[in-house]
Amino acid sequence: MSPQPSSCRAIEPDLLSVAAGEAGPAAAGRVEVHVAGCRECREELVHYRALEGMMATVRRAPRPDDDATLARAQLASRLADLRSRMVGFGIFPSPLGRILIGRSEQGVALVEYLPATGSLPAHVRRLLGEDAVEDRAGTEGLRADLVEYLEGRRVRLDWPLDLRRMRSDFQRRVLEATAALPYGAVTSYAGIAARIGAPSAVRPVAQALRWNPLAIVIPCHRVIGNSGALTGYAGRRVELKQRLLAVEGVKTVAAARHDFKVNREAMYTTVTGEQEYCVPTCGDLLSQSLSTLTLFGTREGAEAAGLAPCGSCRPDLHPLPA
Amino acid sequence: MAKVMAEDAFEAVVGAHHAEIRRYLLRITARASDADDLSQETFLRAFRAYRALPPGSNVRAWLFTIATNLGRNHFRAQGRRRRAYAAAAQEMRPDAPDRADGQVLAEETRERLERVITGLPGKQRLAFIMRKMHELEYSEIGASLSCSEESARAHVFQALRKVRRSLDGHLPIGMESRA
Repeated sequence: MSPQPSSCRAIEPDLLSVAAGEAGPAAAGRVEVHVAGCRECREELVHYRALEGMMATVRRAPRPDDDATLARAQLASRLADLRSRMVGFGIFPSPLGRILIGRSEQGVALVEYLPATGSLPAHVRRLLGEDAVEDRAGTEGLRADLVEYLEGRRVRLDWPLDLRRMRSDFQRRVLEATAALPYGAVTSYAGIAARIGAPSAVRPVAQALRWNPLAIVIPCHRVIGNSGALTGYAGRRVELKQRLLAVEGVKTVAAARHDFKVNREAMYTTVTGEQEYCVPTCGDLLSQSLSTLTLFGTREGAEAAGLAPCGSCRPDLHPLPA
Repeated sequence: MAKVMAEDAFEAVVGAHHAEIRRYLLRITARASDADDLSQETFLRAFRAYRALPPGSNVRAWLFTIATNLGRNHFRAQGRRRRAYAAAAQEMRPDAPDRADGQVLAEETRERLERVITGLPGKQRLAFIMRKMHELEYSEIGASLSCSEESARAHVFQALRKVRRSLDGHLPIGMESRA
């Protein structure tokens, strides 16, 4: 190819534009004038036009591997999965302080206490995942239910739950056993360990409950120490546990080191798994470990859980003093 | 409710653009499996960001930007590009003797052109494919490649010159384009 004169080099961008059909009238005019006097550029224009035509053919031609069906189907399933995991959340004031409620397509995924001010704690951000979005409207109904519950006007939060944020299968088993504790009932960490068939795993049970992603809904506040001490809740906020239990009719008294204690002598008692409930002085109940027992603050609570009054101590005839 | 509507709208986005974005990725990676993966990834990323996209945005150009970035990251990964060349050379050998003559000719033309395109340097190749195969505006190409509209145009023109030279003698002169 011979070296191009500078006028040919200068016209080349316009020439390419003309060949592509994207030149304005001024550029088209310049090209017209130039190619009228330059045979080489006239031929170049023919070549570039042929190339544009060839590309138009290729653009329209079907390709052998141009089948998007499989990719599209896989995309649909991955999008469905992403959607079902995505959490919409609301942050609300409540009688127990600032609370975050998060829900996915499957159900309620998160209920977390938040500090009074400031940004979301790291573990909450992790549980929300990177795709979470604030959705106050979508969580407003849940907030209203929760406030009714905290004010004692509702005894169940029968929400569909999304349990996919469990840390392990063990945690899932612990939380499922905890979710089965009736309203107004308490048992001990050892009691939960016994229920899941791992009686020596008392500390792991306490750890699993510590990271309960569904506070209040999965009632870890109903699980206390074997001594009757409330022990711990939401970090160092055991007073929240005391207030939740009070709403459910479980009375507590102040104990050492900012803790509270359930008074077993004021609680209706059942041996876990049996069908009757008793006053605490029935038989040797008071000397039994809490790990084998479930305690109720009220007779109504015990009966709502499906228990009948004991035939010997007759708590129905001789109730505990209110 | 607003969320549900946004999701339905995204279904429409997938329906309208997935096939083209996959075809674009097929052209830049030359491998159907890469185009499958990257096209899915493009739309998963788009789904996450869709909510924040201002109303009235050019969704198609936005998807090309995401796909282009994914494609470039893909090539940046060590050795991938070399493998793509090798695969392209393999896959582009004529292998269908039972096709009609006209079809064979079109196939050969396409294969020759695509081989030349595959050999172009990165940005020129992407700009060229976006412009000549998908007819994007230069401003949209510039946005995809994080460069100015003028640079995008320059990339396309440089690519055109190289393609023209590489196809010298193979251009169907006489079959004037309709342009």
